Amino acid sequence: MKIIDKFRNRDIIEVLNRGGLVVFPCETVYGIASDSHNQEAVNKLNTYKQRPFGKPYAIMCSSQKMAEKYVTLNKTAKDLYKRFLPGPLTVVSKGKHKVSKGIESESGTLGVRIPDYDDLLKLIAEFKRPIVATSANASYQKRPYKISDILDNVSEKQKRLIDLIIDVGELPHNEPSTVIDTTIEDGLVTLRQGDIKLKDKNEVLSRSEENTQNVAKELWQKYENYAGKRAIVYALEGKMGAGKTQFVKGLAKAMQIKEEVISPTYDLLNRYSLSTIHYSLVHIDTWRMLDASEETKNLGLEEQIKNKSVIAIEWADKIQDLIRSYADDAIVIWVKIETTQTETERLISWGTL
Amino acid sequence: MKILAIDTSCDETSAAITEHKIIHSNIVWSQSSLHSSFGGVLPSLAQRQHQERIDFVVQKALKNAFPRHTIYGILHTKIDAIAVTVGPGLAVALAVGVNYAKDLALKYKKPLIPVNHIEAHLLSPFAQPKNKMLKMQMPNFPTLGLVLSGGTTILCLIKNIGEYEILANTADDALGEALDKAARLLGLGYPGGAILEKFAKLGDPNKYKLPVPLIGDVVKNRFSYSGLKTAFVRLFESIKNPTKQDIYDLAARFQNSAFKHIERVLEYQISHKPYVISHMLFGGGVAANVELRKRLRKICKNNNIIMHTPYSLKLCGDNAGMIGVTAYLNNKMLNAKKLKAKYGGKKFIESVDINPKLKL
Repeated sequence: MKIIDKFRNRDIIEVLNRGGLVVFPCETVYGIASDSHNQEAVNKLNTYKQRPFGKPYAIMCSSQKMAEKYVTLNKTAKDLYKRFLPGPLTVVSKGKHKVSKGIESESGTLGVRIPDYDDLLKLIAEFKRPIVATSANASYQKRPYKISDILDNVSEKQKRLIDLIIDVGELPHNEPSTVIDTTIEDGLVTLRQGDIKLKDKNEVLSRSEENTQNVAKELWQKYENYAGKRAIVYALEGKMGAGKTQFVKGLAKAMQIKEEVISPTYDLLNRYSLSTIHYSLVHIDTWRMLDASEETKNLGLEEQIKNKSVIAIEWADKIQDLIRSYADDAIVIWVKIETTQTETERLISWGTL
Repeated sequence: MKILAIDTSCDETSAAITEHKIIHSNIVWSQSSLHSSFGGVLPSLAQRQHQERIDFVVQKALKNAFPRHTIYGILHTKIDAIAVTVGPGLAVALAVGVNYAKDLALKYKKPLIPVNHIEAHLLSPFAQPKNKMLKMQMPNFPTLGLVLSGGTTILCLIKNIGEYEILANTADDALGEALDKAARLLGLGYPGGAILEKFAKLGDPNKYKLPVPLIGDVVKNRFSYSGLKTAFVRLFESIKNPTKQDIYDLAARFQNSAFKHIERVLEYQISHKPYVISHMLFGGGVAANVELRKRLRKICKNNNIIMHTPYSLKLCGDNAGMIGVTAYLNNKMLNAKKLKAKYGGKKFIESVDINPKLKL
């Protein structure tokens, strides 16, 4: 283990090139890095961090241009890069699978950081490819603001894995970077107008939340005679705050469900049963799902359809194809709630698939 | 009473070893962590991930608490009971932890204590770190309890351990969910509650206007965040090309309105209780928010109430440590024999089942 007191890029790059581990300062904490293109180096980093294979790392790039060779940036990501990078943010995007195994997550996403630390940016630019970096403490130990925070808390075996330390003294006690995932889309982007062909289109103007609930009640009464014979799916589309949960509240009331319907965003799926009837209301929200179709399937949608449940799905546009695949087994009512110029008014349109 | 506790209620896979109120180890494999450090974690989901991780997490918890023993030795000789979250939460996720815990309990013939996840957040301030005893003045019941997280917004009266009366619950969105959604709208990714807090510190909460939810309620016995969310969407859309400073100001304003709502309900409930209350327990992911802690502590102080929060931020998020402590608090009167009689029967263990909509 060699210790230097400033960035001597030629020495550092030499160590990185032969697969070594380098402890370095940045604007948050001391980090430890290796070459992102050398599998053995990444394995060595895993051994140092004592963490299981498959827990992803972030890469550090010197510029957005470098980052775009490794990840695909969507609009959310580009906005974040523009506003906040370089800075203590790790922005997660879809990876292009060009880095060594074990850096990207299992689902192929990759976190990128552009550090707000000149010496480090210059080093990475000169290295001409990203370094894979993580905080230099052993997993579950305290944040390393000085070299002794690291060396006092790792084993002899771990110490032997470190090839080079850049020790610039104690760093200001800044928070570690925050990870922001941009790979979850709100669905509106992927939805092309005209994609959904409705057999019969109806439209009504709702002037209040209560109105919206009443529309739901009418849409329940219209299809109620199928209840228990076939599954009924209310596929809800509408942006944040449009009143999708309000619609489901109305639906539940119409079904005589006494329990308060609350947002399923966090739990993903809520079920409301009635003692008097044999089918139940299943309330699903795909908003925070990453691979929404796969995850909705995992929640047992097919079983719910077989059980002839009443199913209300928020952000249904994200799983359009999946819902369409059940069109023969279930009554699918597509409900779109749009906001208007007036604060409380909503344009609600619906039709069957 | 040494307990191996397991929690897989939603995104986190967690296992812990607790002894009475002391947490010896508390491993959380977080998928959308509260304050992820860099190189951290990514949100993804449920069953498969839990299944892949639970073995590792449980072994790590056992190893950290008893470094010199073999895992099977520990389970035979050191552990008195297994505790597991049975609800509320996501059914497919809960099932992984419950099935795992049942298998262990049957295999090693240990009592299996089912635990309510919300109750565990509520009682999480009782947890003690190993190595040092924290001085905590034991609350005399009844005491107030507040749980604010991604899925829960509950103010309640704790009449005793295991005896709760809900004073206010959310009618639609949970506070943590609202904060995450606001962050998402500002283009801050998901989950964004923690970063919203960071940015709010840099902003002016008075630059923009947003209503405080349910300000007209005369009897303040519920929470609601859907209206605030809708108003925030409209406000944000009215700003063309928001700058970095606009984002900070909007974050500050949203947090301010969201927190004011909690403050008003809390103040109302404190002043309308017929008995003297001198303590409040505050847990859940949003309890990690420093600004909110400050505001609520002030209200408590003005009313001669001592507010207790968990001793570390990790205990605010989902974790198994609080599950073990809750299992203990509910059963501390039972000796080993009685514990076994109540929770150790084969029939009982086999009957333990998930309850995704379990109430407090």
